[in-house]
Amino acid sequence: MNHIVIYKGHNIRINGIPAKDVISIPGSGTVAISPRTFRGVKPKLLVDEGDNVQIGSPLFFDKTKPEVKWASPANGTVKTIQFGARRVIEKIEITVEGTNAISGQTFSPEQLESADRTTILTRILEANLFPLIRQRPFNKVANPKDSPRDIFISAVNTAPLSVELDPVIESEKEAFQSGITALSKLTDGSVVVTSRKAMELQNAEVQTISGPHPAGNVGIQIHHSKPIKPSEIVWTVNTQHVITLGKLFLNGSYSPDIFVSIGGPGASNPQTVSAKVGASIGSIISNQEMENPIRLVSGDVLTGKTVEKDNFLGFYDSAVALIPDTVGRPFMGMLALGSNDSKYSLTSTFMSFGEKLFNFNTAQNGEERAIVPIGAWEKVLPMDIYPNELFRAILAQDIDEMEQLGIWECDDEDFALCSFACPSKIDVGAVIRDGLELMELEG
Amino acid sequence: MKWLRNILDKVEPVFKEGGKLESLYPIYEATDTILFSTDKRTESGPHIRDSIDIKRVMILVVVALIPCYIFGALNIGFQIANALGETLSWKENLMNGGMKIMPIIAVTFAAGSFWELLFSIVRKHPVSEGFLVTCALIPLVMPVTVPLWQVAISTSFGIVIGKEIFGGVGMNIFNPALVARAFLFFTYPARISGDKVWVAGPDGYSGATALAVPAAEVGKDAVSLLNSVTQFDYSWMNMFMGWVPGSIGETSTLWCAVGALFLVITGLGSWRVIVGAILGLTGMAFLTNFMAEITGSTNTMLTLPAHYHLVMGGFAFGVAFMATEPVTGAHTDKGRWVYGIFIGALTVIIRSINPAYPEGTMLAILLMNAFSPLIDYFVIQGNIKRRMIRYAQ
Repeated sequence: MNHIVIYKGHNIRINGIPAKDVISIPGSGTVAISPRTFRGVKPKLLVDEGDNVQIGSPLFFDKTKPEVKWASPANGTVKTIQFGARRVIEKIEITVEGTNAISGQTFSPEQLESADRTTILTRILEANLFPLIRQRPFNKVANPKDSPRDIFISAVNTAPLSVELDPVIESEKEAFQSGITALSKLTDGSVVVTSRKAMELQNAEVQTISGPHPAGNVGIQIHHSKPIKPSEIVWTVNTQHVITLGKLFLNGSYSPDIFVSIGGPGASNPQTVSAKVGASIGSIISNQEMENPIRLVSGDVLTGKTVEKDNFLGFYDSAVALIPDTVGRPFMGMLALGSNDSKYSLTSTFMSFGEKLFNFNTAQNGEERAIVPIGAWEKVLPMDIYPNELFRAILAQDIDEMEQLGIWECDDEDFALCSFACPSKIDVGAVIRDGLELMELEG
Repeated sequence: MKWLRNILDKVEPVFKEGGKLESLYPIYEATDTILFSTDKRTESGPHIRDSIDIKRVMILVVVALIPCYIFGALNIGFQIANALGETLSWKENLMNGGMKIMPIIAVTFAAGSFWELLFSIVRKHPVSEGFLVTCALIPLVMPVTVPLWQVAISTSFGIVIGKEIFGGVGMNIFNPALVARAFLFFTYPARISGDKVWVAGPDGYSGATALAVPAAEVGKDAVSLLNSVTQFDYSWMNMFMGWVPGSIGETSTLWCAVGALFLVITGLGSWRVIVGAILGLTGMAFLTNFMAEITGSTNTMLTLPAHYHLVMGGFAFGVAFMATEPVTGAHTDKGRWVYGIFIGALTVIIRSINPAYPEGTMLAILLMNAFSPLIDYFVIQGNIKRRMIRYAQ
């Protein structure tokens, strides 16, 4: 069995680690999906305001791949469809009224085992759950017409404050295995599951990984086992979504509940809850007391999006972070010695040592400057890629050089730690994303 | 400090868009953020950030230079006393030396700030903190006897030609402080090429620098020549400690090493460059010693052993503070090794084989500044080649 050791990277010691026991919270009054947030998707609506939908009913589809539709995570009435500039569909909001789900064919593990690609693909597509499968490069919704080289599943979450996946897999073992068996029919290669410790799984190649974040990022795992070449496509599925797919085959219907971690220095009650995909942020954080200004983040603190209480959990997100949003202006801060409580740095430029958890706030801790390459990016990027040179090639829009420097293997989430550590406060991930978009455009 | 904050807040509208002094906003911004850390918040992910910023990076490099400043002042006082045949207490030496270097520091910072602020205002970019480091480095590589107008001219040249015309810190090719030094070196060679000592002593007082001693004689052994000098104590230990004439901050290998250690521990300077340079210097010195033996050359410099090269001239200072500068050096870790090794080796080559200049560290670093993109190019090509082979499989 392949074992990957990651040396570069960093586990950010952020305060407010979510407790592992799963708490159930009062259901969300409304849930929503935001079609705008899916990369490369041209959404077209299948519902109108006031329509009744069941769990699993199609809400919209992608004009470029009409067979790919998005399932409703709730049973109820479409409350509002909100449009933004140029009639971009901002969100489809559904009032939750019941628990009726569209049900379809069920598969026993044996039936799954003997099913062929078309059967599995058709079932996922008609259940409107295909968007759970994403592809690399570009980290966007996969195309069902593609035949992926492999399918990668990361069974490790190393992002700060994220849901611990081992107990989740343990409690849903059968569904996880069924999901993997189903996915294994979709590729001629293998389903590669990367985890912390060895696992007994059928129809999958299991590999283990050790080391700090971003070891849990599927892009890093692909890079260290079977790197992507130009024109190759690899599919990826989140562990929780593999379970969702497994349940679809075992029970015949969509179960839109996932585990969501709530953490961060602003969380009064860091915990793990069970919530619906697209649940309202207000319902998820109903157990948190928020007295001071706090920034809410859907997704992890490194790559998530800023949201408000009346917004909704992102489609692929399984974490909500609460970070204090007040930043002071200490006198002569640049000369401060610093302590464990006031400074957190990957360099030893402050007198902050030890393993204490740190109360981060939303301070950028400096202004944006030109790159001074002291090796901050390289220290946290466990890839055989020169980030500085790739960054420059992207700024110069030199497609050939970007390809030579390995942009096909990159995704912005793998560079989030570089932005975290950068003394010049440059958003490296955003530039990588620009580069990928350029590659796709020119592709 | 509330009153200061209040004053800054009160005058802010004057410098903001539409204010009377709108064009001087970079000056306000620099003052404001140097006195009080910025309260800028992250706009998107990553929502949390490391505490380090460029201000901290630059101010810590300045901190690393403080031992060299203090020792430099002490040593200058000591050299003056020595020239006059007096023995003074360290306090008096420090005072005398301090009085000599203060004007040089003041002129450097005045000239440096002027250009930095001017470019910030004209080009509408924020004042970059890098000029603090440049201005802190320049006095240390100046001889104490340098006329102040030359300090002003060379600082201006270093900041403008060495940095600003490329777009400021981060875009420059050559180390601005070394550009300033090189400008002085080539424009006024009679005073600064490094064969005569610079001691702020009585008129007409002169002598040969340690590096000029073996360079001037033919067919002798360098170490015994150095030990025979009576005017100064050119023993290895004394040169390591730094009680010899030289540029203000460069003489003490010990305190340069302390500064270098600080930079390496804080993660701001690359240890690869430093170790590489020492290896390069040692290797090349062994080679020249060997050459001297087998060829029977009469060049005395060839017989100078590696550990003497290490403590003489500006090598320690250059490697600790100039070669480790991240922007103008190689950017890749492998490249940093090559970059360092070449600096060390070239220093020995220029010192021993070039007949015109007894010192070679400055030229070696400037030369390697020019070559560092090429070194990186080869390292990157290696990476690309590996990837292309994998793609072809």
